[in-house]
Amino acid sequence: MDFLKSGWKSVVGSQDGQSQPSVAETIEKLIERVQTSTLLEDRRDACRALKSLSRTYRLEVGAQGMETLINVLETDKNDSEIISYVLDTLNSIISGPIEDPIDYIEGSPNEKSEDLGQQFTEIFAKRKENVSLLIDLLEEFDFKVRWPALRLLMGLLRNKLRDLQERILANPMGISRLMDLLSDSREIIRNDAIILFVHLTRGNSNIQKIVAFENAFDKLFEIIAGEGYSDGGVVVEDCLIVFQNLLKNNTSNQNFFKEGSYIQRLLPFIDITNDTQWPTQKSTNVLFLLQVIRTLVSPRNPLQVTNSCQKVMHQCGVLEKLCAILLTSGVPAEILTETISTVAEVIRGNHHNQEYFSNVTAPSNPPKSVIVILLMSMVNEKQPFDLRCAVLYCFQCFLHKNEFGQAQIIQTLLPNSTDASGLTGQLLCGGLFSADPFSSWLAATALSHALVDNETQKEQLLRVQLSTDSNIGPVSLLQQCCTMLQQSAKLQTRIGLLMLLCHWLSNCSFAVTNFLNIPTNIPYLTSQAGLAESDDLEIVVQGLCAFVLGLCVHFNDDSIPSFTREDLCNLIIKRIGVETFLDKISSISKSEKYSLASQRPQLRYSRVDDVVFDYEFCRLFKSLEGAIIKAVQNKPDLTNGPESNMSAEQHRLLVQYKEVIRDQDQQLTSLRSELEKLRENFEKVNAELKEQSDTCQQLRDQNALLKAQKSSSSLPSMMSDEANISRIQDLKRENESLTKQVRNLQIELARYKSSSPPVPETKINIGDDEEDDSSSVNSVKKLSEEIEALKSELEKEREAKLAISAELDTATKEQEELLDLLSDQQLKATKYRKRLKELGEKLDDDGFDDDDEDIEATENLNELLNK
Amino acid sequence: MSYAYLFKYIIIGDTGVGKSCLLLQFTDKRFQPVHDLTIGVEFGARMITIDGKQIKLQIWDTAGQEAFRSITRSYYRGAAGALLVYDITRRDTFNHLTTWLEDARQHSNSNMVIMLIGNKSDLESRREVKKEEGEAFAREHGLIFMETSAKTAANVEEAFINTAKEIYEKIQEGVFDINNEANGIKIGPQHSPTNTSLPLSGSGSSQGGGCC
Repeated sequence: MDFLKSGWKSVVGSQDGQSQPSVAETIEKLIERVQTSTLLEDRRDACRALKSLSRTYRLEVGAQGMETLINVLETDKNDSEIISYVLDTLNSIISGPIEDPIDYIEGSPNEKSEDLGQQFTEIFAKRKENVSLLIDLLEEFDFKVRWPALRLLMGLLRNKLRDLQERILANPMGISRLMDLLSDSREIIRNDAIILFVHLTRGNSNIQKIVAFENAFDKLFEIIAGEGYSDGGVVVEDCLIVFQNLLKNNTSNQNFFKEGSYIQRLLPFIDITNDTQWPTQKSTNVLFLLQVIRTLVSPRNPLQVTNSCQKVMHQCGVLEKLCAILLTSGVPAEILTETISTVAEVIRGNHHNQEYFSNVTAPSNPPKSVIVILLMSMVNEKQPFDLRCAVLYCFQCFLHKNEFGQAQIIQTLLPNSTDASGLTGQLLCGGLFSADPFSSWLAATALSHALVDNETQKEQLLRVQLSTDSNIGPVSLLQQCCTMLQQSAKLQTRIGLLMLLCHWLSNCSFAVTNFLNIPTNIPYLTSQAGLAESDDLEIVVQGLCAFVLGLCVHFNDDSIPSFTREDLCNLIIKRIGVETFLDKISSISKSEKYSLASQRPQLRYSRVDDVVFDYEFCRLFKSLEGAIIKAVQNKPDLTNGPESNMSAEQHRLLVQYKEVIRDQDQQLTSLRSELEKLRENFEKVNAELKEQSDTCQQLRDQNALLKAQKSSSSLPSMMSDEANISRIQDLKRENESLTKQVRNLQIELARYKSSSPPVPETKINIGDDEEDDSSSVNSVKKLSEEIEALKSELEKEREAKLAISAELDTATKEQEELLDLLSDQQLKATKYRKRLKELGEKLDDDGFDDDDEDIEATENLNELLNK
Repeated sequence: MSYAYLFKYIIIGDTGVGKSCLLLQFTDKRFQPVHDLTIGVEFGARMITIDGKQIKLQIWDTAGQEAFRSITRSYYRGAAGALLVYDITRRDTFNHLTTWLEDARQHSNSNMVIMLIGNKSDLESRREVKKEEGEAFAREHGLIFMETSAKTAANVEEAFINTAKEIYEKIQEGVFDINNEANGIKIGPQHSPTNTSLPLSGSGSSQGGGCC
């Protein structure tokens, strides 16, 4: 304290002559100094003093100084010394004074201190910037800052997990920064970071997924390997707890774990069969490892995930290694128990794994199967309770959805089984009739698992004969069970046997018939169900007896005259009373033990005496309870009917008639139902026929359509099919007409070629194009364009030709006219000459003149022609 | 199950654009018509082959709802590739792309390959965003672009594989620092021993130096 006082003095200043200042005043002054002082050193000293004070006066410093201290984190973040003081102070405020780091993790702070811490945490986390500030400080490499910042964050998380998780999630870099701490070379930071993740990943699937995304599995595996796997210290344990947090009930991460081939990386971990030393920490590590494996194949996971993980575990050898542990001596019982449960869940409902398991043998002489070895432990009183329960669980998982395995087990009980395989059956029977009630409960329950949902095996089991006493000869297993049930005074034995009977009789009329053939059974059941004892477990036994009786009613095929369905119903009404009977049945589901057992497949009992029900029985009960209640209440008015006051003879007759009527009724109903079925069938077939013919028609239409489409061009189908077809037909028509035109033009062209000079453009091979026409619209277009060009050229040619011929025509006409004219003139000339001759004129150059005139006329004509 | 490289992808975009369906179609080759809201983030994985090399894709399918936005942001930094998805039948999902892109650029490493995806291309009749608009947006922001249909599986394979090709090319060019797992790239187990050997890692770093 002297040191403290001197500390205050140095900071606050000595106050000689005055009374000592109160703590509150001192703190106030220090805080004021932190707020107002401009000198870093002053602020630093004040913070140092506050740090010391906070150890003793947590409440006072926290209440007054929290805000100021947080401000320092922001404003003075470049000075690691002051930051370190502030962080230490805040740590004291949030988590209380810490002397030893171990305290911090495992210490149990008293309630008041915890409450205080929660309140301060609430204040701190109110501003989300505060948490971000802290996360930013984690980037500072300086140990003085990083470590207290990490511890502060951890303290906050411990006090207010949900709030802090939300705050950290809100910071996109938050988890990434925290992940970086796992790579810190300083072990103390790395190890504390792992513990931080233990808290951080608890119950928040979003954080779990981000942590996995940030390669947590890789990093943690590296750490685990570096520490030497199971031989590593508590760090390995912490890593495995993080694994478990990340995987539990998180399908996405389970998938990621499997897809990332991390299951394979567990292998070196499980390789412990050569180890002889088992220090406590090692056992703990292996236990946690086994629990990690179990989270991946838990019956609570989605079936798909469990199945695929089971498959990988078989393929990569995890299952093999686990089975090897089962056969290794010197493994601590605790680990052996957990391994048995792990193997159970790795094989549960997976046929391949179940088959592999059933073939595992111990290297003894002769080789014993692992199942035999486990069963030996189960029925051995000296083995620990948990181990025996685990074996039953393993056996149950081995037979879960495993018809083949069930048959295998029942087979070992049958007379023709070989010696080696008969061992399983011997063990089960030995257990069943053992003097130890828990052994017989376990064996009965194990045997019942071989019958679950498997009618064939229920009938097979009826064939089992036992030779208990050489004098009496063989007795059937069922008989022996019933005898045991009626003679035993031990509750657990009776409960076990009754549950076995429930499985055996359910859905198996043949077994019911066999059961009813043993005359003592029904009187025993009715007497038990009719008892009115108040002991908790006795009530359960009575309930079970009532349930077995109910099964005898419900699955009765009326083949035993005195114990038909109706007889039994009457018996219940007269001897027990329907109300009492129903009460007894419902007492099963009302029992605490029942709700405990129905929660999960694995037994969760802590003491031998607690064991009452098993999971599969609860399932069976749930599924049949309703049906049995209904079956028993089937004919409520039987006793009040008119038949109650009839003579025996009348009654006999009545019964006879009733039988006849019932038979007829049955026939009638069966015929009716058959008719109904046939009619339905007929209608169905009719409907189907119609449907088929419809589809046929549709298909035909489609076919036709497709054919049409196929034959047409592969035009990009922007329009509907019909439009396509019509368009194609149009195109076809167009094409035809174009072809025709082309031909016409060709003919014409040929004609003109002979009469007019050849045109070079007409030399295109029209014939070839014509062939392409039918297949390609494009070429049609091209062709038609060419044709068009050709046409126009032809037109031109024709026009020219026409012009020429017209000119020729006019010329010829003119020539003719001129010739006419000439002949006219000649005629006139000869006429005039004649007249001149007649008039007596002498014409000397008769011929010459004539010639002259001729020449003149020819010249005229020529002139005209040239024009 | 060995692989040469492992790439981490994230799928982002508005709610209901079909992110989970794209993933389901890619990993399981099936389509689920019922919209099952993603809570937080879901994981999926598949192996592909590029350039004769086995590449494992680990894909984190994020929730599109605003409430999960801050959670989604935590995934940007560690991803090598992002599929940014919008719905071609909903204009608003296209309009929000800028926000998504800003978010991605702000929180991711600068080399992250972003593939823009216009999903539901099977619903042509209800289309509100033209393919050209998507192309233009992608060009403007330097993204790869594709239109897909998670329903008909059209282009789904291509979208995931082309993104991987782009990342693979960037690795070949030495743009990515493959030894830093924070980039969302991991070298396969059978390759890592050769990588840690001196000559190869030396050449890798000189490659990187040459690039800078």
